Amino acid sequence: MSRRSRAAVARSAGGDRTLTVVLGLVLVAAAVLALLVGYGVFGVFRAQRPLIDPLLVEWVTAHTGATRWIAVGIGVVLFLLGLWWTLRSLRPEPRPDVSLSEVPGERLTVEHSAICDAVRADAETIDGVSRARVRLVGGPQRPALRIALTLVEGTDVRDVWADLDGRVLARAREAFSVSALPTAVRLELDATSAPTPARVE
Amino acid sequence: MRLLLRVLAPLLGLALAVVGLAIVVETVTLWVAPASSPLIVPWPSWRTAIEGLTWQSGVVRGVAIGVGVVGLLVLLLGLVARRHDVYLADPVPEVTVTTSPRSLARAVGHEVRSHEDVVSASVVATTKRITVKASTLDPADTVRDAVRARVDELLGRLPLARRPRVAVSVTTTKGVK
Repeated sequence: MSRRSRAAVARSAGGDRTLTVVLGLVLVAAAVLALLVGYGVFGVFRAQRPLIDPLLVEWVTAHTGATRWIAVGIGVVLFLLGLWWTLRSLRPEPRPDVSLSEVPGERLTVEHSAICDAVRADAETIDGVSRARVRLVGGPQRPALRIALTLVEGTDVRDVWADLDGRVLARAREAFSVSALPTAVRLELDATSAPTPARVE
Repeated sequence: MRLLLRVLAPLLGLALAVVGLAIVVETVTLWVAPASSPLIVPWPSWRTAIEGLTWQSGVVRGVAIGVGVVGLLVLLLGLVARRHDVYLADPVPEVTVTTSPRSLARAVGHEVRSHEDVVSASVVATTKRITVKASTLDPADTVRDAVRARVDELLGRLPLARRPRVAVSVTTTKGVK
């Protein structure tokens, strides 16, 4: 298992998860801080001070210009961060075309759909595979394959592997003229017989 | 949980962007044209509402607890939205093979139900553990051993990266064979 083949298993939700965790931490920290102040942990008198603290109001009145710039700065940062996060998580996962040659005059690019159709047709000829779905992930220079195979009940997984690596992936590597092509294979076991009730976590 | 994250993440981002935009717009309005402030957000009325409150006020505590609970839920969502793939041993370097817990449970379920003495069975599978609950009309002990042997044999055929622990429980139900 290489890092790139592992990354091709599924689209990463790492960015979304990190941002969600950070946002959650900020909210929890703010709430805990407000409660601690309210219960007098930072001094009994601080707990009795008004929410709109006269000290703060005094400072704001004395430094109007600075307050304006600070508020605008916070607003801009929040706006840009939120916009970047939204666009980032709404963007579909890219389907790269593969460039085989970058030499000027003989540039050669293979379309995403052409590769996927070819590999899928190959994979579906394997014994025991009832359905195959294939797509490329990653960039045009460093593509990786993602293959989902639906296996007939009772198929030996090792036989499928042998066929997949020896024939299907070997041909794909040959076509790309690379020695190794990072690949993530997802197997659906026993999927073609009548559906049976199975509870999963 | 991953689906919820996929839906909520853009919404949270959008909320941040809206809050940021509102702060900028209101600040600039108050600065440039104080007469037309507030433009969108009625913040002066909010200000009068919280004017008399101290940090000890019940309202402040209530809001803080509410924010804390929401924050905790968001935090948990971010932490639990991970993938639950079951990894198989790699046939060759550069290839990663996975299957889903659901699919593994289905395969084990077929194997268990194919035993002629098993009346019904349910299977729960994760990367670390497979739990089989089966019922039979025969003495439970013998069937349990047979079911365990079948599951072990299946796991032997399936090259999983780490072999999950198997827990089999068989109960005898009443009925006519």
